[in-house]
Amino acid sequence: MKSKLNRFAIPYVVWMALFVVTPILLMVIYAFSSVDGGFTLDNFTSMGEYLPVFTRSFKLAIIATLICLLMGYPMAYFMAKEGPRFQRVAMALIMLPMWMNFLLRTYAWMSILENNGLINQLLGALGILDALGTDHVQLIRTQAAVVLGMVYNYLPFMILPIYSVIVKLDHSLLEAARDLGANSLNVFRKVIFPLSIPAIISGVTMVFVPSVSTFAISRLLGGGEELMLGDLIEQQFLGGAYDPYLGAAISMVMMVIVVVCMVLMNHFGEGEEQAVML
Amino acid sequence: MSKELIRLSDCVVKFDDEIILDHLNLYINDKEFLTLLGPSGCGKTTTLRIIGGFLSPTSGDVFFDGQRCNDVPPHKRQVNTVFQKYALFPHLNVFENVAFGLRIAKRPEGEIHDRVMEMLEVVNLKGFEKRPISALSGGQQQRVAIARALVNRPKVLLLDEPLGALDMRLRKDMQNELKRIQQEMEITFIYVTHDQEEALAMSDTVVVMDGGRIQQIGSPEDIYNEPKNAFVADFIGESNIIDGIMRSDGVVEIFNRCFKCLDGGFDKDEPLDVVIRPEDVDIVPESEGQLKGTVTQVTFKGVHYDTIVDFYGFKWLIQTTDFCPVDSHIGIKIDPDGIHVMKKSAYSGMFGDYSSYSEEYEEIGDASIDPEEEGSGDEE
Amino acid sequence: MKKQNSIGSRLLIALVFLFLYAPILLLIIFSFNAGDSSVVWRGFSLDWYGKLFQNRLIMESVYMTLLVSILATAISTIAGTFAAIGLYSLKRRWRSPLMTVSNIPTVNADIVTGVSMCLLFGVFFMGWSSFAGWFNAQELSLLGHILQLPERLTMGFTTLLLAHIAFDIPYVILNVAPKLRQMDKNLIDAAQDLGCTWMQAFWKVILPEIKPGVVSGALIAFTMSVDDFVISYFTAGSSTSTLAMTIYGMTKKRVSPEINAVSTLLFVTVLVLLILSNVLEARQEKLAEMRSEMKPVAQRKPILPPVFRKSWLRRMVAGVCAVSLLLVVAALSHVTGSRPVVNVCSWGEYIDEALITQFEEETGIRVNYQTAESNETLYSLLKSGGGDYDVVVPSDYMISQLIEEDMLTELDYSLIPNFDLVDAQFRNLPYDPENKYTVPYAWGTLGIIYNENMIEDEITSWSAMFDPKYAGKVMLINNSRDALGIALLYLGYSVNTTNEAQIREAYQLLADATNKGVYAGKIMDEVFQVMEGGNAAMATYYAGDYLSMLENNEDLRFVIPEEGSNWFVDAMCILKDARHPAEAHAWINFIASTDAALANMDYIWYGTANREAIEQYPEYYLENYGEELDQETFDIIQTPPEVLERCEMYLVLPKETRDLYKSLWIKLGV
Repeated sequence: MKSKLNRFAIPYVVWMALFVVTPILLMVIYAFSSVDGGFTLDNFTSMGEYLPVFTRSFKLAIIATLICLLMGYPMAYFMAKEGPRFQRVAMALIMLPMWMNFLLRTYAWMSILENNGLINQLLGALGILDALGTDHVQLIRTQAAVVLGMVYNYLPFMILPIYSVIVKLDHSLLEAARDLGANSLNVFRKVIFPLSIPAIISGVTMVFVPSVSTFAISRLLGGGEELMLGDLIEQQFLGGAYDPYLGAAISMVMMVIVVVCMVLMNHFGEGEEQAVML
Repeated sequence: MSKELIRLSDCVVKFDDEIILDHLNLYINDKEFLTLLGPSGCGKTTTLRIIGGFLSPTSGDVFFDGQRCNDVPPHKRQVNTVFQKYALFPHLNVFENVAFGLRIAKRPEGEIHDRVMEMLEVVNLKGFEKRPISALSGGQQQRVAIARALVNRPKVLLLDEPLGALDMRLRKDMQNELKRIQQEMEITFIYVTHDQEEALAMSDTVVVMDGGRIQQIGSPEDIYNEPKNAFVADFIGESNIIDGIMRSDGVVEIFNRCFKCLDGGFDKDEPLDVVIRPEDVDIVPESEGQLKGTVTQVTFKGVHYDTIVDFYGFKWLIQTTDFCPVDSHIGIKIDPDGIHVMKKSAYSGMFGDYSSYSEEYEEIGDASIDPEEEGSGDEE
Repeated sequence: MKKQNSIGSRLLIALVFLFLYAPILLLIIFSFNAGDSSVVWRGFSLDWYGKLFQNRLIMESVYMTLLVSILATAISTIAGTFAAIGLYSLKRRWRSPLMTVSNIPTVNADIVTGVSMCLLFGVFFMGWSSFAGWFNAQELSLLGHILQLPERLTMGFTTLLLAHIAFDIPYVILNVAPKLRQMDKNLIDAAQDLGCTWMQAFWKVILPEIKPGVVSGALIAFTMSVDDFVISYFTAGSSTSTLAMTIYGMTKKRVSPEINAVSTLLFVTVLVLLILSNVLEARQEKLAEMRSEMKPVAQRKPILPPVFRKSWLRRMVAGVCAVSLLLVVAALSHVTGSRPVVNVCSWGEYIDEALITQFEEETGIRVNYQTAESNETLYSLLKSGGGDYDVVVPSDYMISQLIEEDMLTELDYSLIPNFDLVDAQFRNLPYDPENKYTVPYAWGTLGIIYNENMIEDEITSWSAMFDPKYAGKVMLINNSRDALGIALLYLGYSVNTTNEAQIREAYQLLADATNKGVYAGKIMDEVFQVMEGGNAAMATYYAGDYLSMLENNEDLRFVIPEEGSNWFVDAMCILKDARHPAEAHAWINFIASTDAALANMDYIWYGTANREAIEQYPEYYLENYGEELDQETFDIIQTPPEVLERCEMYLVLPKETRDLYKSLWIKLGV
């Protein structure tokens, strides 16, 4: 029986070799190659120039991740306490924007944040702009706008894993804690929170990784003036500065970061195979 | 010994018009081992949850040591619970699980250590304190759960089917263990189970419940020997329950035949239920029997044979060491102390016939495997 | 959990939902706006919905998005389910590392996945082209006579689909795996013991057991596919465009409000589906409740939503298969349709789209019209194998570079009779000295566009672009050649200098201005939106585009600064190995005609090289608009010779200088 079933693994192993392993190997090879095909470390040594891009990307991604956590955790927690019908509707509502495209969601913010966009018009109409003595408050093309875009796009990735863990928490554990003398705060601090740490880690990874590597958000909401890692990589492949070797090197460095995140996640959380979404 | 500790007074619990507890009155004495016994959905877990503070009765009062405590939250009660599936914290190791309540109470570190180690010794888990919960067997997890509850020195320990998930052998060991711990700690245990053997073996007092009501309270012996109605008689052990008529004190008529018995105080000619335990029936040659019947089925049980005998269309279970082949005609004799008479109740006629003998056994088997109680229903 | 929430927590939930939905609601509201603003309400209308269905670009990309998502979902659901079963029948020692590898795409940053895929395809195409070259050269081979392999492959629908499948499968596996783990291993044996064949055991036992996992896996895969932008962006190439890519392309210039309409339609569709499934679920639950009331002892089991019910999955699989088969057929006929095609890549807002339709009607050739952002991006696209173009319209210096790298093909001028109409002034220009590769498309100058209302002074010099006085009001042009060019011009150097010191000096000028916060952003075609909307006071851009902006904002002014400027020619060329050379020549000839030149000139406001068109334009204008052409405007379109004298054309720079530009440019962004 078994021998019959594991035949199915073979095509997939071939597929993975082709479409998962090879691309990454190629990326590594490119990262250590120069234009004429020789081995070089230049791509890495020259990366020092881009240190500010790294720090900026990390700074913004960390801020966005923190905000997501601060918004997402209570949201997930309170959602899990509602009735089953409410929960179902709320889950659907959180998933729904994901069926509209990521770019549509980002674009939606552009017209709101523009210098003569909705918020500024509103402020103007309320006379706040006059009071401030400016004709607009700079909202778009700022780092704050980039962070906003990240939070807006990736918040569901924070809510979903935390919610699904909290909602599945064994209720008798909470009763046990209360039985042993814990008040509500203690139940949260000593039981719910520690048990949701794996979910937090997976949420953090799921927000942080796309945030740190984003290129469309920074381009659309950040005005493209201050490069982020994603922009830098994009420029090397399809953008103005064609240099796939450098691009591969930067991607590789970023991948290492992801691997570190993964190791962290596996260290704290239990499951490699936890279904991340539903 | 018997100072009253807990009193439930006229407690009613309803969920969406469904009555879970129906005007329950119960008092529990200090240092008593009390068992709430009953089938799934009888309200025993609900009763336990009221005492634990996880549930407030829809109406009625709960007193603890004379104080009304309906609205006292669980963490402020001197009561601890051993949960059905233990509810051990998976993120903490054995020591920290046991220490949980002490840490919440902010006891000094030294005291925590001493008390936890002492408790682990009581439950025979010394040397396991660093183990993660997932590395323990079911029986060990059980002990941790008990230690975790007891370390807080509660006045009452509530145990919600704590042995349900263990296998037969372990269950027997743990029964003795629990009894020992209860005597050692000198506190009140309130124990919920649907397993009558467990209840009889461990308890000082057994409370038999069904349909949200208490059917009978008493010592194990009382409950077994003097069941108050057909439900209790059937639920506790095996019984043949037959319609009878009280002809006079000490004389009851079954199948138009008078038997001597020890009960009295009923109206003359009052119809009632007669309980005859299978082991109280002696098989004699057909000619000497008070009743005559035909053997329809024999099952070897080790110590005895379960013999089903047909008396005028009504099938009895008789446990005997004598082998009687199927289709043989036999007689039986019943001593007066083997006959117990009960007033008619709502349960009359529902139990006590062994026509569908094998199925009934299966049902019992199912019940002991399935640890799911009405708990899941309570949660909604 | 029993405890109900307090008002406070409800409020928090409400606020988060407001945050999530306010922007979407705005999109929806403004999709009904009569005006084209996303800010000012001009009354209710359904215009944008009407226009949406006529907008070929958007409709095609919606179709493409759905096609790719559905196909990728169907394929990866089936493949992923089998893969999961296969993996789970392996020993743990094998399974764990394989699962880790399998999960890479789910944890990797999208951009890394996209980029590595892009590399994979690029390398494969390179290998393929040498193989195909060798193969086609084997005259001896019998096959060679029958089968000619295409030598040039480019990214397109196939690569896009492969990439989507590659990142969908792990999600399916992740969802199926837990169900497999929960499944009693003896079930299959039991089924076979009871006489099932292997196939029956799969359908009757395994599948029903893991169905919930399969369904949610498919759902996630679809969500991921629809939501994806980054991976598509790197693997779709130029000829295929998903909705996200189209929007991204649009956000670079003017976003047309049809996007609002398409968002609304998408949103409503999804919403309706969700509500439907919720209503069904609720009904199911009620039924189950009634049933459980009748049997009070029965335990209440969690009610499975209707999607998990029995015959559902088989029907769904059949449905999905049928739909995808239909779509494949449709796609195939769509792709391989007998209609000839020409793939053109030009710049944004750089053609009168009526011309495309006209050409298609006249010749029956379908025009696949794409735009690139700048010469440098075009170059990257071509290099990375993403540009499946026949005709490109690069600027002068880029043309030289492409010729230098042997990426263009010599034109057959006998097929382009209209080349005769090209004025001598625009022939044999430095970028193509013998005029073997190019036909001029349009030409123009670079200058400063500013908003009179926001800048009080009259701007005459490039110095304004570096002046801290205008901090935060200036938009820098987002390509290295132009941006460093204006700095060089201001400093009085040639735009073609190769002197490193001069270039570094120019860079320093830009860097200082950046540090002083002069630039509010770096933009290319976004300039239309920004300047027309009054969102910036000043920008560097091209003359013709200024006139387009002027139509929408009368306060804008254009100046070619006194230091001089760059004048450029964009010319049509055909790429080496272009797949449709005949159609490409036809297109070039059509665009070079006087009528097309006139229409284009009138639409894009750039100068033309067509002699007749230059002469006839004032007349054409009078005819069409009923008023005389303003000389000032005409001067901006056809820059007069005395101004042009001050201007310099870009020449291709040597490799070292180009690398210097590149590294300085990135450094500026850093």
